[in-house]
Amino acid sequence: MFPRVSAILALRPLSRFPSCSGGSEAPAAAIVLLGAPHGTVRYRISALLVLTKNNAQRYFGTNNVIYSKKDEQSAPTPEISKETESQESVKENRKKDLLGIIKGMKIELSSVNVQTTRPSSRRQLKSVEATVGRLQKAPEDVPKNRTQSLSPELVAAASAVADFLPFDKQTTKSELLRQLQQHEEVSNAQKDGERAKISVSNIISDMKVAKSATARVSTRPVHQIQFDEGTDNYMGQETDDLKKRKNMLKGKRLNIFDLKAVTEEAPETETAPSLWEVEFAKQLATVNEQSLQNGFAEMIQWTSEGKLWEFPINNEAGFDDDGSEFHEHVFLDKHLKDFPKQGPIRHFMELVTCGLSKNPYLSVKQKIEHIEWFRNYFNEKQDILKESGIQFN
Amino acid sequence: MAAVATSRWLRFRCKLCPTLRGQRAGPCGQTPSCRFYSGSATVPKAEGANVTGIEEVVIPKKKTWDKVAVLQALASTVNRDITAAPYAFQDDPYLIPTSSVESRSFLLAKKSGENAAKFIINSHPKYFQKDIAEPHIPCLMPEYFEPQIEDISEAALRERIKLKKVKASVDMFDQLLQAGTTISLETSNSLLDLLCYYGDKEPPADYHFQKSEKSEELEAAEENDEKSKKADHQFGVTWRAKNNAERIFALMPEKNSHSYCTMIRGMVKHRAPVQALNLYTELLNNRLHADVYTFNALIEATALSVNKKLEDKWNNILELLKQMAAQKVKPNLQTFNTILKCLRRFHVFGRLPALQTFREMKAIGIEPSLATYHYIIQLFYHHENPSKGSSLIIYDIMNELTGQKFSPKDPDDDMFFQSAMRACSFLRDLELAYQVHGLLNTGDNWKFIGPDHRRNFYYSKFFSLLCLMEQIDVTLQWYKDLIPSVFFPHSQTLIDLLQALDVANRLEMIPQIWKDSKEYGHIFRNDLKEEILMLMARDQHPPELQVAFADCAADIKSTYESQDARQIAPEWPANCLNYIAVLFLRAGRMQEAWKMLGLFKKHNKIPGNELLNEFMDSAKASNSPAQAIEIVKLASAFSLPVCEGLTQRVMADFVISQEQKEALGNLTSLTSDSDSSSDSDSDSDEGK
Repeated sequence: MFPRVSAILALRPLSRFPSCSGGSEAPAAAIVLLGAPHGTVRYRISALLVLTKNNAQRYFGTNNVIYSKKDEQSAPTPEISKETESQESVKENRKKDLLGIIKGMKIELSSVNVQTTRPSSRRQLKSVEATVGRLQKAPEDVPKNRTQSLSPELVAAASAVADFLPFDKQTTKSELLRQLQQHEEVSNAQKDGERAKISVSNIISDMKVAKSATARVSTRPVHQIQFDEGTDNYMGQETDDLKKRKNMLKGKRLNIFDLKAVTEEAPETETAPSLWEVEFAKQLATVNEQSLQNGFAEMIQWTSEGKLWEFPINNEAGFDDDGSEFHEHVFLDKHLKDFPKQGPIRHFMELVTCGLSKNPYLSVKQKIEHIEWFRNYFNEKQDILKESGIQFN
Repeated sequence: MAAVATSRWLRFRCKLCPTLRGQRAGPCGQTPSCRFYSGSATVPKAEGANVTGIEEVVIPKKKTWDKVAVLQALASTVNRDITAAPYAFQDDPYLIPTSSVESRSFLLAKKSGENAAKFIINSHPKYFQKDIAEPHIPCLMPEYFEPQIEDISEAALRERIKLKKVKASVDMFDQLLQAGTTISLETSNSLLDLLCYYGDKEPPADYHFQKSEKSEELEAAEENDEKSKKADHQFGVTWRAKNNAERIFALMPEKNSHSYCTMIRGMVKHRAPVQALNLYTELLNNRLHADVYTFNALIEATALSVNKKLEDKWNNILELLKQMAAQKVKPNLQTFNTILKCLRRFHVFGRLPALQTFREMKAIGIEPSLATYHYIIQLFYHHENPSKGSSLIIYDIMNELTGQKFSPKDPDDDMFFQSAMRACSFLRDLELAYQVHGLLNTGDNWKFIGPDHRRNFYYSKFFSLLCLMEQIDVTLQWYKDLIPSVFFPHSQTLIDLLQALDVANRLEMIPQIWKDSKEYGHIFRNDLKEEILMLMARDQHPPELQVAFADCAADIKSTYESQDARQIAPEWPANCLNYIAVLFLRAGRMQEAWKMLGLFKKHNKIPGNELLNEFMDSAKASNSPAQAIEIVKLASAFSLPVCEGLTQRVMADFVISQEQKEALGNLTSLTSDSDSSSDSDSDSDEGK
């Protein structure tokens, strides 16, 4: 009756975990978990299942690096026999663990399947496809002689794991099997009393660390090649390595235009914008038109429409004098150079400039013209001035 | 000129400044304010004699601010208030919209008020001559749309073109031609521009009721025209053979490349790609060259042309590009955007050419605009089939874009965020969604979110993704932040939120969500109400919560009842009746619960088995055999198979009188008769 099963409740918090911590807390959490190896492995992998791929891989990598460090620390201990013993027991435990993990996975997967809110589709679909793909490709990828030495249990387990991990299933499976085989060889060798320096966990950690670099690329499904028909090689080449993965925005181009030809300056012919250009500009202006965010934005709009006094508010609103400035309006003495330094004309002209400097209605040009007019006037009246004994020039 | 001169002079002065400053400081301090004082003519002279070498005071250059600089600074200090309605809606508190429909009608009402005022002013300019503003405010004065020049001349034609009077311009052109006047190439070209841009139709008015100025007869004559016009407007105007543009083009004694170009662009704009391509050949035959805009149009025409294989189309586009290169025509952003836009229609085939095109434009140094990325995302994700796996190109795009600020360069720039968020939602990648959202909030990029419906789409997708992937606390934080101050949620968005609450076991939030959804106008959304009721009724909860849930259920119930009053076919889903009854029962509101049982009969719905059992439990708890028998009666009335079990329970659990026993016996026999017929009904009920 009620389709949503609460089994997912336990999983959900884990899934949230990477996105909120941004990955930085992840290693710390992993270290904490390392305390109890049995529970930990299961926990980690179940966490993996629900994590987004990138994060999952990051986790995996970090965990195992730490793990291997621990092992290195314990390696130099003198009790060799104990070590070997523990190695063996570790091996046993691992086998059990692996099976346990897989059991756990199946349960969790079914719960993932049941609940509807989780975005699980992609992974599941892929795993299904991968299974199909494996059926076709299996013989060439996994040489039989390899699997022979491993128990069928383990092979099955490995392929099940491969199904769950988001990277290329086939490689994962063969890699897992290879590792398991090596692992068996190593422990056999150790049984014979030959102490191998490389611990099992080291091997596994190496493998995982290398894997972790593939992160996003490996999530790219192989099937994408199908629809790209392979004319370009951008899909084919990026197999496993993130560093090798090409930025899709870089690569082969059309090679029609020449950079030089395009960038070189053409002689711009000044023509009035045609209707097309005007309308295009209008269209562009509407692109980022948004409703107003606050009162100031509205005032900005009104100002540009000319409905509002422009800031800063002063008595120059609507007064346009070719950008001439205050001092040009007020300090007009410099235009009196040609006038006598003293005498009634000087006095008169100073009064004129004083008056002009206080006049807000004339432009600078008009004021200078006004002074010019007086100069001409006095020039014309030279004779009268001479008669009255006033000197001009 | 004056300003330039001054600044040059000042620059020169500035070089002298350091050397002069030392000399000037002393004397200026001693005789302040004497320099330009013109009160007495003798003082400067004395001054000049005493202190030689003093130059004029260097007046610092006036700092000019942009007229809106102060306001911009102030505006940047205002942050969004998540508790308030957007500024555009702040008016009378009564009018503040609470749902997307209301907000739309609010904005439309506001705009249409402005338009109406403008219309009145423009249609009766003589009443609005008084200029009250000082300084004069031109935009408040009536505009003149009527041509002022009456006689027949080229100037009059130019004026009509400027006023975008298509028909009047064509008439004037014909009259001029008849009078034997030669019209300059420039004027005829701009007439062609006008005709081609609007497809030989009057330009659509800013406001729809403009043409009341026309006389009555004209109106009647155009009535017939009107119908065809409307049909045209649905698909835009289409290019008709032998229209005025073609006629005038043919009449023109001399044509330059501009004439051809504008014709080609007009044909493409109004969907006549074949004619456009033919005209291009004619242009080449006349040894003229097309400009970049024309090539852009031709690319579009190539893609528009029907009955061609995609491969051929692509080769034709490449051919055009090669011609551009050969003719030394520089491609621009529009060229590449046009190609990408057309490649979208090629679906999967278009992917590789699109990438190559994009690389080409990067290689020759043309900065892509948001629209460019939008086209690529659409091409790679639009027809995506999840089972095929998906492209990861969005990661490359986001890596490229993060931190950039954009300015509008293409009319489709405002589509990017929508399609990017769609891709995020498709990939279920929350981190990517955060990245996209971060880009949106960089600088002024938020302006590119587009009109209301696109913003709603973007935020709905974003919020749904949050509901799916984010921790519930963070999701609720976003809920508070975005709703309702940024967008009003769709009912599906609220269902997503409810499911997130369910998964995180935070069902106590549900009554609050119901309250909100009522506010946002989802009272009549049955799926939402059903989801809410289902979540509340599914499990047992502590008593306080049950009380709250029952209140909520009563509220929801009332919405169904008010629906009755509104004469909309009252459809009580059986599930809802079940849920509400259960909720009342659990909260101990027995009377109302029994009333709900009555409703089942009234609306001819079948109560669920669990519900009846729960009623039985409550009857047992209150130790009332009468109620228990009532339940059995109800069950038998619906001929439910559960009836028998209930009867046995009544027999076992209650002390009942002989009469009641008999009554029960009758009921059971009745049910067993009709058992087989009711099986299918009950099954379907259980299925729910």
